[in-house]
Amino acid sequence: MDKHDDTSREPVEKIIELRLPSKLGYERVAMDTASSLARRMGFHDDRVESLKTAVSEAVTNAIEHGNQQDSAMKVVVLLTARDDELIISVADQGRKILDQDDTTSSPHIADVLEKFDKGGWGIWLIRELMDEVEFTTAPSGGNQVRMVIHLEQ
Amino acid sequence: MTYPTNPITSMELILPNELGYELIARDAVAAFAWRLGVPIDRIDDLKTALCEACINAIEHGNSLKPDLHVEILCRVEDECLVIEVCDEGVRPFAPKAEPLSIVEKLAGMGSLRGMGLMLISQLCDESGFVSRDDVGNCFRLAFQRHRAASLGCSSNPGSHVSV
Repeated sequence: MDKHDDTSREPVEKIIELRLPSKLGYERVAMDTASSLARRMGFHDDRVESLKTAVSEAVTNAIEHGNQQDSAMKVVVLLTARDDELIISVADQGRKILDQDDTTSSPHIADVLEKFDKGGWGIWLIRELMDEVEFTTAPSGGNQVRMVIHLEQ
Repeated sequence: MTYPTNPITSMELILPNELGYELIARDAVAAFAWRLGVPIDRIDDLKTALCEACINAIEHGNSLKPDLHVEILCRVEDECLVIEVCDEGVRPFAPKAEPLSIVEKLAGMGSLRGMGLMLISQLCDESGFVSRDDVGNCFRLAFQRHRAASLGCSSNPGSHVSV
């Protein structure tokens, strides 16, 4: 194989699809699946922990907000393993569409501490922990977050 | 007689047909089983049995073809966690009339491999191939959710070949 062939080669990727009940607690299944794959790919422990937290936040958001805790709905998690990165896509069925402003703003700690509900850190955490984050619309019409974590050799 | 299936408490997992991915399935389904209250000792049994079933699907049912997939369906039926491992049926399962025993294998009368189905049958409350509409083999494993002892699960209506 010459050099041209090598550089023009499509990246090898393996895809795992997980469909979960839209019920709080089942984010643990997505966390364990993603961490199992990440370890197999060679990610370091601290990156695996970051990944678990980000996946947990993304799936919890999908269950609580996107699917409004309707347990008959599903959350779809796609894990795409490439040689140099892991892409995680979390999609809900869009009972409530996420406001794009909510995907970019950072919470102010003083404001959050004054509120009874101390939530609202999920998207900020995901952005801090993952290398790339993008909020889009899923093929089903629901909300979708695409997260990328790079594998450092 | 039919048994209730809760459509809400179900999970689907689709894996690449590559050896090693059975370990991802093992961790995913173990987390699902833990969430459903399956005792930890039974989860250990489940992990081993599921890996064997996935390896069978990858190696035999899908003949190690890398462009194929293995689909795993998990759901609650009555008081059981039911797991179905389905391949795309490159090689349909053909039961042997008289499988060799461990003693016979150790005596050199056959390959030392090929004990997966026997192992699975010892670890699950119920196991066997089931018929499905699509092309492919589908292997069903069932575990009691709340009892450590293997008291058996109510069988799924329809064709069912126990192993």
